[in-house]
Amino acid sequence: MTEIVVNGVKREVQAPSDTPLLYVLRNDLELTGPQFGCGLAQCGACSVLLNGTEVRSCITPLSAVKGKDVTTLEGLPARWAAQKGLSAADAAKTLHPIQAAWIEEQTPLCGFCQNGMMIKATELLEHTPSPTLTQIKAAFTTSGPSPHLCRCGSYTAIIQAVQRAAHAMKGSQA
Amino acid sequence: MSTKQIPVSRRDFVKTGGALFVGFAFADTEKASAAVTATVDKLDPSSPTSWIEIHADNTILIRTGKSDFGQGTVFTAYRQIVAEELGVSFEAITNVISGDTDRTPDGGGTFDLLMHSMPNIRKVAAYVHQALLDLASQQLGVPKAQLSVKEGIVSGGGKSVSYGDLVNGRKLSLTIPVKGDINSMFGLTVEGDPPLKPVSEYSIVGKSFPNSVIVSKVSAKETWAPDVRLPEMLHGRVIHPKTLGSKLIAAGPLDKAKFPNAQVIVKANLVGVVAPTEWEAIKASQQVAAGTKWTEWKGLPGDQRLFQYLKEDADWKTAPVAKSKPKGDVATALPASAKTLSATYQLPYVKHAPIGPTMAVADVRADGTIYIYTHTQNAQALRSGIAHMLSIPADRVVVRTFAGPGHYGRSNGGNAGAEDEAVILSQAVGKPVRVQWTRQDDLQWSTQSSAAISDVQLGVDANGRLASYEISHYMPAMQDDRLVGAILAGLPTIPAPNEIGSLFGIANGMQDPWVYDATPAVAEFAYGTSQVGQTSSPINVGLRDHSLRTPGQYQQNFPRELAITEAAFLAGADPLAFRLQHATDKRVIGVLESVRETSGWQTHKTRSAHISGNMGNLRHGQGVSVMFRSGTFWACVANIAVDMTTGAIKVEKITMACDPGIVINPSQLKRQIEGGVVMGVSMTLLEEVRFNESGVVSSDWRNYPIATMADVPEIKIALINRPEIGSYGQGSEAANALAGPAIAGALLDATGKIARRLPLKPEYVQALLKA
Repeated sequence: MTEIVVNGVKREVQAPSDTPLLYVLRNDLELTGPQFGCGLAQCGACSVLLNGTEVRSCITPLSAVKGKDVTTLEGLPARWAAQKGLSAADAAKTLHPIQAAWIEEQTPLCGFCQNGMMIKATELLEHTPSPTLTQIKAAFTTSGPSPHLCRCGSYTAIIQAVQRAAHAMKGSQA
Repeated sequence: MSTKQIPVSRRDFVKTGGALFVGFAFADTEKASAAVTATVDKLDPSSPTSWIEIHADNTILIRTGKSDFGQGTVFTAYRQIVAEELGVSFEAITNVISGDTDRTPDGGGTFDLLMHSMPNIRKVAAYVHQALLDLASQQLGVPKAQLSVKEGIVSGGGKSVSYGDLVNGRKLSLTIPVKGDINSMFGLTVEGDPPLKPVSEYSIVGKSFPNSVIVSKVSAKETWAPDVRLPEMLHGRVIHPKTLGSKLIAAGPLDKAKFPNAQVIVKANLVGVVAPTEWEAIKASQQVAAGTKWTEWKGLPGDQRLFQYLKEDADWKTAPVAKSKPKGDVATALPASAKTLSATYQLPYVKHAPIGPTMAVADVRADGTIYIYTHTQNAQALRSGIAHMLSIPADRVVVRTFAGPGHYGRSNGGNAGAEDEAVILSQAVGKPVRVQWTRQDDLQWSTQSSAAISDVQLGVDANGRLASYEISHYMPAMQDDRLVGAILAGLPTIPAPNEIGSLFGIANGMQDPWVYDATPAVAEFAYGTSQVGQTSSPINVGLRDHSLRTPGQYQQNFPRELAITEAAFLAGADPLAFRLQHATDKRVIGVLESVRETSGWQTHKTRSAHISGNMGNLRHGQGVSVMFRSGTFWACVANIAVDMTTGAIKVEKITMACDPGIVINPSQLKRQIEGGVVMGVSMTLLEEVRFNESGVVSSDWRNYPIATMADVPEIKIALINRPEIGSYGQGSEAANALAGPAIAGALLDATGKIARRLPLKPEYVQALLKA
């Protein structure tokens, strides 16, 4: 049995310790935000935050996550609420500004890759609140194990959503 | 855990005609028990409530057989059009049920969504509108002609009643006239001509309503096809043959000590491994695959010899030749031309390459019914394919569709890839089975978009006008809707598309309407042949082909549009002005003028005229292309920079002008066009299926690269709304076809070099530059 912390909650997992985190999240913990795209860390559909850093859950064994803090797409609202010190009541009805921006910009087409896109955007904006276009492109192409791929071609909409989210997140700090 | 609340989705409990259809409004914790007691009863398509339900609280539910594949059309345009015809607000339509075979009335697939599919629900809305007016007239005692409707309230003669109150407890005396076969590719068609709302009175069409399903996807509340879990469900993997023509010699032994809960299932050439957990299924299948023996096969030309094979070896003589209506006499006009061009254009195989490999869950039940949970574009056609495979009546099969990774036409004839394999494995073990393909499976065992070659001969007269144009297109058969698992298991399937050309004549049909009407002599031909390797493959597989966006037209528009740019250069003319000179249709002229203005096109006759804009080792160029498809006119300008040393092309800007007639939802259309542009840039610069004599060797994103955010150009879009046209053109994603010829035209502009083959990889461009 392995004990891991996912979205702020301690979870006990029976799966073998070499099981990739992706299958633990999707099958054991019913957190289906992360998607199976390649199993090779080449696309980013399965991304989660591990202690705040974007990792590919498809190649991250359960054993590597023990004692660390995992955030999935489902956990983004609570992550934001905790960072902002929102009440539990407010936290329950909020979305992360990144998710809100994704909706306002109508970013997804099929949407299958967007889990990883929003996770990567969270990592970026937590470290770089006012990214330049070059920094945004670098985050989604060269910063991780591979570029984050979108076959529908929503990259322009992703850039616009990141810019919108950055603005909103800064605004909320004022 | 809270129940997943999705404002507009197919997953809510639905009341219809008094019967409760149990839907998918399960809580997070209930995902593991998504086994529904779905009825195999089908909806009666002649009943209006099978299409549109108006509830007492004035909310409305609509049903369509077409599923959403990332265009959002059924959640935006369909709602807008139905709201318009009914006379209700967009927001009044709170639920859209789409795609499921037992819960939607008309079948058909996710293609031709606006021109050929949407009229079904639109006509039903118009019929219902009239029936409601009749009912209101009766109830209010006011003549129908004096009644008007606004936001679902019927008013007249100083009285009013809401739709909800009108239908409350009453049945509309209305029968929807339908024809066709629901199990066919195209499904049912609603007949008749009910009075439609005049376009001049539209207030909902033309506005940018948001796509409601985006909320559930972004907030992790959508149930995607890969999320479906059934009680006792096993995870499955299929070990596909070593080559596209291999037969099984022996499945590898399973190490039961390591994988105590796994099972191997063999049926003819189909080898599957199932296990209670996904990780055990994965590891066990890898272990079994390593020991599985297959016969060898070498029946493909290999990608290096592909175009030579198509030119010299393929049989183009058996299939009838498609021709467009000839104009003038090219035989006399060509030799009389002042300057002539004779050239061959080559396009490689490209993959649909969805971000998620195909998957499906199948539940073959003891009572003989089969439930399939998947992400197909054509659930009814899949249902009949599965029934055919098992030689059972179609009414024993239910297909439920869910959100999935977009795959751009690959399943528009029913099969997304894994459904039949899941059914075969589920039948073998007597439990539900979820088959998930790997990335490698998806690149090597799915269909692809056909390779093609085209020969052009054209002549330009002494006045610099196009005097003669002849093109011959050669493309292997497309639209292979066979179930690959059924083929491997030796079970019945429909035949492979043969050289005669399949559905729509998509292989050897004319797909790219001519738009330069001022040309005096034009002749166009299209030749077909069998899929490469298929007829010689011992298992009848080979390189299977399928629609990928703009199918066939992508292959035909690239050679034509690049040839027209070359003709302009022969004539010493600006390629955009040259196109305008040869166009007579005001909508072709309209998109060209629009793209010229929006892109900041610099009119010039030769590339040297703007070479001063070049810096250092980079040369800049501009190119243009035009297309007419499914009621929509397109023009594209590409601005590129070419590295003269490495041959690397950077697409700096793509400008697209689009005239679809009536623009239904401007912001959604723009997002679709942006996506099409990116796919077009990707196909032009990067994409080519690598294959050897035995099969596809592209296996992952490293050896089948697609565009990343770094490759994305600035994208400018000009939408031309023409309500006076009165029709909805479609194919918003068709932008993918225009980038190639515009970029190749820009390369010619920048360097004087003509690249007649895609993709424009640096080494190819570098070789052209050195030549």
